[in-house]
Amino acid sequence: MALIIPVIFVAVFVFAAIKKVNVYQSFTDGIREAFTFTVSLLPCLAAVFMMCQLFEVSHLSDLFTKWLAPVFGALGIPEELTKLVLIKPFSGSGSLAYLTSIIETYGADSYIARCACVCFGSSETVFYISAVYFAGLKVKKLALPIVCILVATFISTVLACLICKIM
Amino acid sequence: MNVIFTAVFISSMVALLICAPQDFLPALISGGENAVKTAVMLFTVYAVWMGFSKLCERSGLSRGVARALRPAAKKIFKTDNPAATESLAMNISCNLLGLGGAATPYAVKAIGELEKDGNSFAQKLLFVINATSVQILPTTVIALRAGAGSASAADIFLPSLICTAVSTLIAVALFIIGNKIWR
Repeated sequence: MALIIPVIFVAVFVFAAIKKVNVYQSFTDGIREAFTFTVSLLPCLAAVFMMCQLFEVSHLSDLFTKWLAPVFGALGIPEELTKLVLIKPFSGSGSLAYLTSIIETYGADSYIARCACVCFGSSETVFYISAVYFAGLKVKKLALPIVCILVATFISTVLACLICKIM
Repeated sequence: MNVIFTAVFISSMVALLICAPQDFLPALISGGENAVKTAVMLFTVYAVWMGFSKLCERSGLSRGVARALRPAAKKIFKTDNPAATESLAMNISCNLLGLGGAATPYAVKAIGELEKDGNSFAQKLLFVINATSVQILPTTVIALRAGAGSASAADIFLPSLICTAVSTLIAVALFIIGNKIWR
């Protein structure tokens, strides 16, 4: 598996060289675009991260966890995963930290940890992605796609907990 | 985004005001700090992949991929813009290969191109597909489990694949139905 990326790189570099593309120039141009892109992203990132931090520090996330744990439990989602499921849409690094602590606490091969891994791997940081994708654009009415994504992610979380019980 | 941002921000601020006002400013500042750290991390990833993608572009490789996927793109995303199709094709291919870091710049490029056509349906559909994570190989999670001494770190591969496929299908279906109703 580790071979895939290097092989693709070699293939593309060789192909470009054969096609007489200026490899160094093109690569640098690409990085320049990456730089302007990252800089244009920074204001949105800062705002969203401040929001996430506030949400976490104000213990509102803990409060939500406490309220929702019984509801999640009724749907077959273990209580220990409630916080992970709640944080994931907001913060990739936050949920990654939380996932690591779950794996450490319960052991990598426990049901809880495997469940957490599947939930983590099959969902994305929705709010962060929406900030990155639509930074500086005039697209309106993002509520519908966001709701669809959250609903679908939730259904797949319930499914993940089911599947992990069997497999 | 505006509504969510304002609602979460205000409710968190009020909660903090009541229980721990001294934590307010440090929280904001550490949020900003996280943003910069993430931006640096993102830049390093994007630098590699956008440099790589420039090479694909200049050597005509991505045009080839795009041409192959053009009929599909036309049908699904309802777009005829060749530049947008090119980025769309590369985004989906990277996602399927599990190269999440590489997929994002293409998605942003595609969304920018679609903006020129005013094709907000395709923009949102692409967002839905990417935000439900269509990756085939959850590399981060497998690495984490291997690091924690799992007996078979990759045994979550199949459950992950099923869940990510289901979530993407449901989200796309919901979005298309919702889009028809509220239009």
